[in-house]
Amino acid sequence: MNRRVTLAAIVTVAAVIPLAACGQENTGNAASTKPTGKPTVCLVMKSLANEYFQQMQKGAVDHVAQLGNVTLDSSGTQNETDVDGQVALVEKCITKQVQAIVLAPADSKALVQSVAKAVKAGLKVVNIDVKLDDAALKQAGVDAPFVGPDNREGAKLSGLELAKALGKGAKVAILEGNPGADNALQRKNGFNDAVAQGGLQLLDSKTGHWETDEAHTVFGNMLTAHPDIQGVLASNDSMALGIIKVIEERKANIKVASFDNITAVKQYLQSGVMVSTLDQYGSQQAANGIDYALKMINGEQVTGWQKTPVKVITKDNVG
Amino acid sequence: MISISVARGNPRTSRAVSQVLGEAGIGVALVALALFFLAFAPHFGTAQNVRDILTQITLNTILAVGMTFVILVGGIDLSVGSVIALCAVVAGTAMKGGGSASIPAAVLLSLLIGAATGLVNGFVTERWRVPSFIVTLGMLYVARGAAEQYTGAATIYSLPAALTGFGTTTLVGLPAVFAVALLMAAVAWFVLSRTVFGRLVYATGNNEEAVRLSGHRTGVIKVVCFVIGGACVGVAAIIYMARLGVASPILGQGYELNAIAAVVIGGASLSGGRGSVIGTLLGACLLGVLTNGLLLMGVSDFQRTIVTGAVIIVAVVLDAYRKRLSIRLSATS
Amino acid sequence: MSTVVDTPFLDIAGLTKRYAGVTALDGVDLSVNAGEIHILIGENGAGKSTLVKCLAGIERPDAGEMTLAGAPHRPAGAAGALRAGIQVVHQELALLPALTVAENLFLQRMPRRLGLVDRGGMRRRARELLGQVGLEVSPDTPVERLGIAQMQLIEIAKALSVDCRLLVMDEPTATLTPRETATLFTQLRRLTANGVAIIYISHHLEEIFEIGDRLTVLRNGQRVHTGPVAGLTTAELVRMMVGRDLNAEYPPVTARPVGEQLLRVTDLRVTAGAPPVSLSVRSGEVVGVAGLVGSGRTETMRAIFGADRPAGGSVEVRGRAVRIAHPRDAVRHGISFLTEDRKAQGLVLDLSIAANISLASIDRVSRLGLLRHAVENAAARELSSRLHVRATGPHQTVRALSGGNQQKVVLARWLAADTDLLIVDEPTRGIDVGARYEIHQLLLTLADSGKGVLVVSSDLPELLGICDRIVVFSKGRIAGEIARPEFDAERVLNLAYSGYLKNGISA
Repeated sequence: MNRRVTLAAIVTVAAVIPLAACGQENTGNAASTKPTGKPTVCLVMKSLANEYFQQMQKGAVDHVAQLGNVTLDSSGTQNETDVDGQVALVEKCITKQVQAIVLAPADSKALVQSVAKAVKAGLKVVNIDVKLDDAALKQAGVDAPFVGPDNREGAKLSGLELAKALGKGAKVAILEGNPGADNALQRKNGFNDAVAQGGLQLLDSKTGHWETDEAHTVFGNMLTAHPDIQGVLASNDSMALGIIKVIEERKANIKVASFDNITAVKQYLQSGVMVSTLDQYGSQQAANGIDYALKMINGEQVTGWQKTPVKVITKDNVG
Repeated sequence: MISISVARGNPRTSRAVSQVLGEAGIGVALVALALFFLAFAPHFGTAQNVRDILTQITLNTILAVGMTFVILVGGIDLSVGSVIALCAVVAGTAMKGGGSASIPAAVLLSLLIGAATGLVNGFVTERWRVPSFIVTLGMLYVARGAAEQYTGAATIYSLPAALTGFGTTTLVGLPAVFAVALLMAAVAWFVLSRTVFGRLVYATGNNEEAVRLSGHRTGVIKVVCFVIGGACVGVAAIIYMARLGVASPILGQGYELNAIAAVVIGGASLSGGRGSVIGTLLGACLLGVLTNGLLLMGVSDFQRTIVTGAVIIVAVVLDAYRKRLSIRLSATS
Repeated sequence: MSTVVDTPFLDIAGLTKRYAGVTALDGVDLSVNAGEIHILIGENGAGKSTLVKCLAGIERPDAGEMTLAGAPHRPAGAAGALRAGIQVVHQELALLPALTVAENLFLQRMPRRLGLVDRGGMRRRARELLGQVGLEVSPDTPVERLGIAQMQLIEIAKALSVDCRLLVMDEPTATLTPRETATLFTQLRRLTANGVAIIYISHHLEEIFEIGDRLTVLRNGQRVHTGPVAGLTTAELVRMMVGRDLNAEYPPVTARPVGEQLLRVTDLRVTAGAPPVSLSVRSGEVVGVAGLVGSGRTETMRAIFGADRPAGGSVEVRGRAVRIAHPRDAVRHGISFLTEDRKAQGLVLDLSIAANISLASIDRVSRLGLLRHAVENAAARELSSRLHVRATGPHQTVRALSGGNQQKVVLARWLAADTDLLIVDEPTRGIDVGARYEIHQLLLTLADSGKGVLVVSSDLPELLGICDRIVVFSKGRIAGEIARPEFDAERVLNLAYSGYLKNGISA
């Protein structure tokens, strides 16, 4: 997701390795209309070759199996930027006359036309993962609710745990994600909110490009320049791992607040060097979207941003 | 008749001058940069910071030493950033939760995977006469995909304490991981300047047809260079895990460009035949010092990116100017 | 049958061109009339191509005047010559392989309509032109799918498509069949009837007599004869081309005992369709290989050495059948090969003299894969002084050396390899007289010590000067062999041209 796109990459990707079969489909019960009377929901994803979406799809399939009152028709594109492929998938859903579409758009603007077409055809559309562009939606005269976590709020919650642990006036630094990535910006803003609200003193804020090694280098040098740092706000757990390595090397007493909750950080939550991380239940996002789609099929009005639950993970609940 | 021992001018002096200009040119730039940071970047000159710099340049040094072989025979390896991830996740999985007894096999595995990708890169390039740029670009995707597939995108942790302990050990004040890099550079220098193979590497990069017509299998020489480059990536993967205690399938993105930059700043020619391990080492130092100093000065991310790029360009332009000068010197000698 | 009008259209006086110490053209005069086909003839390196290059604006002459239709002709570049109405069909093809026949024909002037390329009009014109040269291909065929002869015809059609006043053709028929050649000649006569002047360069003596009005013979950059073609005999022609004093230019030849057979090549085919070639070299022999450029000399040597893979044939070294698939095999069997292009195929320009010398014998200056620099430098010093290489020392890069010294370094490489048989291709091309003598002497010394030497050369006096016998190639096959007692330049030339004549010539 945060891959540095090189010029060369653009040239060859498609030709070199067909990572995934085009327009993968996973229609356990290929029903288009409803022979059983159950509504059908189309789940249109991005690249299913990506572990993140793979998990999300699995969560949706499990969820639907549990519900039992809905048929799932899920598909994904060949790669994450395959806009044309995704437009075709949405149109296929319209043609099949399903009741609702849950969409993780490959592009926040380019998919708006397809969404408008679906809405006008009487389908319910729920937006997950990346929010469709508000201005473009407005221009097209449609509304599609966005179901997803609030990165900014999550980062703030995690950051406040650090403020609680260090106390007012403590000196902290932020390690940012890729400059230009929307979630990186949201998390940075959330951390800044926590700094302001918790009365922390921010010494430095730099990018580590989501990456362990670079975070190690950047934070190591930050610590040399500011030996009095007491806490770090890391925009993801991969970077937190590099930061913790520096802390161990220098035998410093520094606490870390982070984001993502990958299993590799569990030991550090337990040992106390990491005070908090944030679980935004990424694998549940598609399932959440399906829930909202069902609500809309049942006549409920859903608009705007439906925030999905996030959970601050600390020593107490890491398990 | 002027015989060989009677020379005009003073060849020894002009040779010395052109040699100084050759490898030390980049050294002068490095010293100038270091002096600048000593004056303007707080904490730059502390022993701790020097150790930090050495630790921070370790990976790039190892990768760049391997890349030097590939570039000397006129190739390029764009796959190192992905291959290091593949080596790391496979070797990391082999060691995960294990004791120090699991380390040797994992190291061997990492080296083998690195060397095997190098063999594929080199063989395909030679056998079908395809530019290595394209072949290794393909390998970039294959290795990255394989690493993701192998781990299911999860980060590997719980590596043996002996390994991570090595990552923080110091030997007579030097970080042990940097000592490994230095040792590899020394071996590479020896191979390139003292062995028949090294001589043939330079000669092949310079004029492959002449070497072939002198009775040497240039294809084999080139493939071996790719294998050496790959094996270096395997070592770098182990060092990565020793230092950071984790392995993730997304690690290493962009490493190939850092390694190429170090080699080129070190005076190598991308068309092959010219370059040196010492130059590469200095090139890696220059990049590391630059990043370190700019971070200590508190320069913003965006400005740091711009300055790094500008320094690469300036270094290469200076090098081109220096080369013209030394060619003139050797021609007039 | 040509309409010869006696007004010199092109007048060249005292044209001189020097390249780094070599005089390629030495005060050459040439006048060509409108409506005339003027033949330019001479040995390889006589100055024909240089003259054409000056005319076409590719090279600038050092001295002399060129006058075109009464006005001074001093082209600043190729474009200037084109504007002056000069079209040249070069030996090397200058087509763009990915473009179609029609696009290549009109590359310089695409027919336009309303600012767009007029494809229909272009195709129509292309078909006309192709008809003129008798080439039956679609104008939409990409040029890369055509054969070499067809490409040659496209080049000719391209030249015909322009209204030129002077047409220069440099060996246009080298790859053409007699039928295609006849079609070409019809077109040339059509042009001369319209008053176009033509300079025609060819090695095909028969053609010269068929198409030429007058001819000029060049030798060593000088004009030796101009006159009508009619009345000349091929024998006279050959004598004018060769006639050179050979005395004292070469080391004295002493009788050497000829030893065992070092190399025997039987029915070697360079490519699948090529004629079989057989030759042998004995110990103590210097064997010359003569022939025109492109007659198969170099190709055969490369195949023997394993530089290119031959399509068939067998090789015996010292009576034992061997398989040579790579230069490595050749070196192992005691064969070395000095290539004709020393910069592209011989020297490693950025490495030192010592490294270049040891390249083919690196095992002798190393132990267990480690270089022994002291041994290597000593060997380089010894060979450099034996060959009189003028350099600052074994560390100097060969890029800085002069052509003659560079050639000596490559020779030194093969001396260091100490092989039984040495094949040298154009060993003295572009080399000053002193170095040339030294190299000749060295080759003879090698033969004295029992080695075998194969010398490929376009320099006939060189072969006559140092060889024990000369094998003459013509059009891919060996046309004959002459031993020293029967040495005669005319005989060699007659043999060299024999493959290009239908009935042979009487010398």
